[in-house]
Amino acid sequence: MEIFDFQKQLFALGEQQGFVDMELYYEHREKFGCRIFEGEVDNYESSEVAGISFRGLYNGKMGYAFTEKISEDSMDYLLENAKDNAGIIDDEEGEEIFAGSESYRDLSFYAGPLDQVTISEIMQFGLEVEKKILAFDKRVKTTNYFMLSRSSEERQLINSKGLQLFDKQNYFGMYVSVVVEDAGQVKTGSYECITKDFHSLNADEIAEKAAKEALDQLGSRSISNKNYPVILRNDMAATMLQTFSQVFSAENVQKGRSRLKDRIGTKIGVSALQINDDPFLPEGIFSRTFDGEGVAAKELQVVKDGQLLSLLHNRKTAKKAQTESTGHAYKSSYKDSISVSPSNFYIGAGEKSLDEMISMIHVGVLITDLTGLHSGANSVSGQFSLAAKGFYIVDGKVRSAVNQMTIAGDFFELINAIEVIGNDLEFVSPSMAPGYFGSPSLLVSNLSVTVD
Amino acid sequence: MIAQSVIDEVLGEALSTGGDFAEVFVEDRYTNRIVLQSGNVENSLSGRDFGVGIRVFRNFFSAYAYTTDASREGLLKAAKNAAAAISGAAVIQPQPLVKESFTSTHQIQISPSLVDKARKVSVMKNAYAIAKGFHEAIQQVSVFYLDEEQNVLIANSEGRYMEDKRTRSRMMIQSIAADGNKMESGFYGPGAHKGFEFIEGLNLEHYAKEASRIAVTMLSAQPSPSGKFPVIIDNEFGGVIFHEACGHGLEATSVAKNNSAFSGRLGEKVASDLVTYIDDGTIPNEWGSIQVDDEGEPTKRNVLIENGILKGYLIDKLNARRMGMNPTGSARRQSYRFAPTSRMTNTFIAPGKSRPEDIIANTEYGIYAKYMGGGSVDPATADFNFAVMEAYLVKNGKLDTPIKGATLIGNGPKTIQLVDMVGNNLAHGAGMCGSLSGSIPVNVGQPMLRVSEMTVGGTKGAE
Repeated sequence: MEIFDFQKQLFALGEQQGFVDMELYYEHREKFGCRIFEGEVDNYESSEVAGISFRGLYNGKMGYAFTEKISEDSMDYLLENAKDNAGIIDDEEGEEIFAGSESYRDLSFYAGPLDQVTISEIMQFGLEVEKKILAFDKRVKTTNYFMLSRSSEERQLINSKGLQLFDKQNYFGMYVSVVVEDAGQVKTGSYECITKDFHSLNADEIAEKAAKEALDQLGSRSISNKNYPVILRNDMAATMLQTFSQVFSAENVQKGRSRLKDRIGTKIGVSALQINDDPFLPEGIFSRTFDGEGVAAKELQVVKDGQLLSLLHNRKTAKKAQTESTGHAYKSSYKDSISVSPSNFYIGAGEKSLDEMISMIHVGVLITDLTGLHSGANSVSGQFSLAAKGFYIVDGKVRSAVNQMTIAGDFFELINAIEVIGNDLEFVSPSMAPGYFGSPSLLVSNLSVTVD
Repeated sequence: MIAQSVIDEVLGEALSTGGDFAEVFVEDRYTNRIVLQSGNVENSLSGRDFGVGIRVFRNFFSAYAYTTDASREGLLKAAKNAAAAISGAAVIQPQPLVKESFTSTHQIQISPSLVDKARKVSVMKNAYAIAKGFHEAIQQVSVFYLDEEQNVLIANSEGRYMEDKRTRSRMMIQSIAADGNKMESGFYGPGAHKGFEFIEGLNLEHYAKEASRIAVTMLSAQPSPSGKFPVIIDNEFGGVIFHEACGHGLEATSVAKNNSAFSGRLGEKVASDLVTYIDDGTIPNEWGSIQVDDEGEPTKRNVLIENGILKGYLIDKLNARRMGMNPTGSARRQSYRFAPTSRMTNTFIAPGKSRPEDIIANTEYGIYAKYMGGGSVDPATADFNFAVMEAYLVKNGKLDTPIKGATLIGNGPKTIQLVDMVGNNLAHGAGMCGSLSGSIPVNVGQPMLRVSEMTVGGTKGAE
């Protein structure tokens, strides 16, 4: 069923049944993906999915329901359930349907040329990269997981207050994990990227990066357990920022789930620390012109010279805090209610290169991989203790890889212990927390390191 | 859900380019989620997922297409898309579909869709009141309620044709305790393959108080020491350690491609004699249980390790081909948006003979991990990590101060050799497991056990 026909019928029926304001959120996604294993495409995936979410004001309360069956026979289900859901809401804040912002930026984040790339080109590229990885060094054993994908999604927001918004996004992503073996020691390393420009990818460079990430781990050794100066390589610093990004959500602050309560206008990090949210970043995977409630997106300085300037707000949290929405309402899909999340969120770059930062360390550790973020980090308490991979630095030089270790500390202490901010700002593929996160490498004065 | 004649047609289309196996998976799932915050219902969401996944094999190659367009045209288009990954002429025709029916072991007493939302909320409010009232330091309590009824239809070119319904209910309680600038959280999230009878029958006094007690206890916890210690892991959700350390390495997903430390080692001693490790999807009404897996294969009790000897793996249809072994009823997927692969159901270490109090009394210095957070593993190296939610130091055979911020790391095959005491108090805990085929409900379980030496990473630094 055509989405506009569906919307008109649904709103008409809703009005008859007592809904005052109504909104329809529609999403349509197409995706192609494949996996490569030992010289062959061994897995191939193609999909096209759509779904809608309905919300409406019923007896003064907002009720929600969604469906993936966009047909006339779903309308009763949506309206009935939205009514039931509205009926049990205790929320006194008074959620509203939004009539729209004054203006929206006229930008498109859809990369037309990416659409022109054929499926066979993508598969060929994957096969070429795998071949180069396997040929890179005789210690390379295999790639244990190699995935390439292209996705495009469009979303529409239509409401009974006359707001009608549309946008479209696409991107290409790849992930490869490489297994290497030497003298009985097995190590893995991975490479991940996400881009709108398929033709900018270079198979040689990717193969080298991926293979080296694993090979460099060989010959790892134990070092003593203690507090060391630590460099978080750019991708890992971005991962750390992603893990704790929810502390900047006004929703979490208001619900007592973030330690940033009452901290606006105060210093929360070192003076060199800048954290920005830029929804208009041309290469940004979370770029957008409007948020999940239809509020116009805008740039936001979150931390300036170490001082917390603003939290991220949607309309509900803004109302509670008697401020304006910052355009950070978030809906992960039509299946989700509205929360708060960043768009493209990053730590501003400094001046030193990673090599210069390494050369500044007498004895320390360089972290190049972090895992267990979903369990080993607690954004409520700010504490983390994470499994890590990395290198031992002695006299300003990388000496060797280190056995699996943990680094432990506190996020709020960490942003006060940054000694040097690198010039190598890089974004990482979204995972875990919603948003697209970037950071330069960070040198932190000390973190507790424990080695297996 | 979809006419049999259309399924026939779709399977035919999927095999039209030379595939040697085709499968259709139809899913119609109704979900309700309610969030209670500070005693108020803040959020209530209902929805219906509806989609179809079509899979085609040729030898070890697999193509998958999925769509929410369940019209005949939409399905044929998806089948064409999957078939397009193979180029050739048809080699086989689908077998005639024969509908199989069965009685589920997992009987549901009260279908959640027939229960008023207000009745669901009333249980949540009780849980809130108990958790909030536990201690004055409890600043915030969130209660999450979830129910779902997943109707599936599975049909394949071998003539298999069946429908199944999976009903699940879960309630999660998160308490936050605060003291000055310190904030700690505690969590408990029981779930079952049951209807609303599970929610109404929950021992809220226990679960809600435990969530709050953990948060309050952690406020006074000392930073965890770092280093290598004996570690005692309590029963129930403590089983997450071997879920990460061994379970994932026994899934065909990594075994078939020779990327697991357990590949090619059937019959070998891979663990301490005290370890018997079992995956059992048939336990009535457990959170990780299913009658048939997502390929329509009946679930089984799979003994993976018996008295330290490797006995078996968890195998799905595609990897069964690679491995030359039979499927084990272990193919699972989050939804029609994922091709199924080998996954765990209810996985646990079988009970041993030690009494829990004796395990603690026999430990001179070490760590007692009462409740675990989650963890993860690199299947190729079997290096794992997991977080401890509530832990204590053990000194001279007695529990000492609570400690926080401990993460345990190690290597699966090495750690499972170091299990030196296994308790007699087996229990299971509910969790969600994320992997290739998405996020699925699984139980982890074990009795209390001790690992003679594990690396503990804490904030305090070396002792």
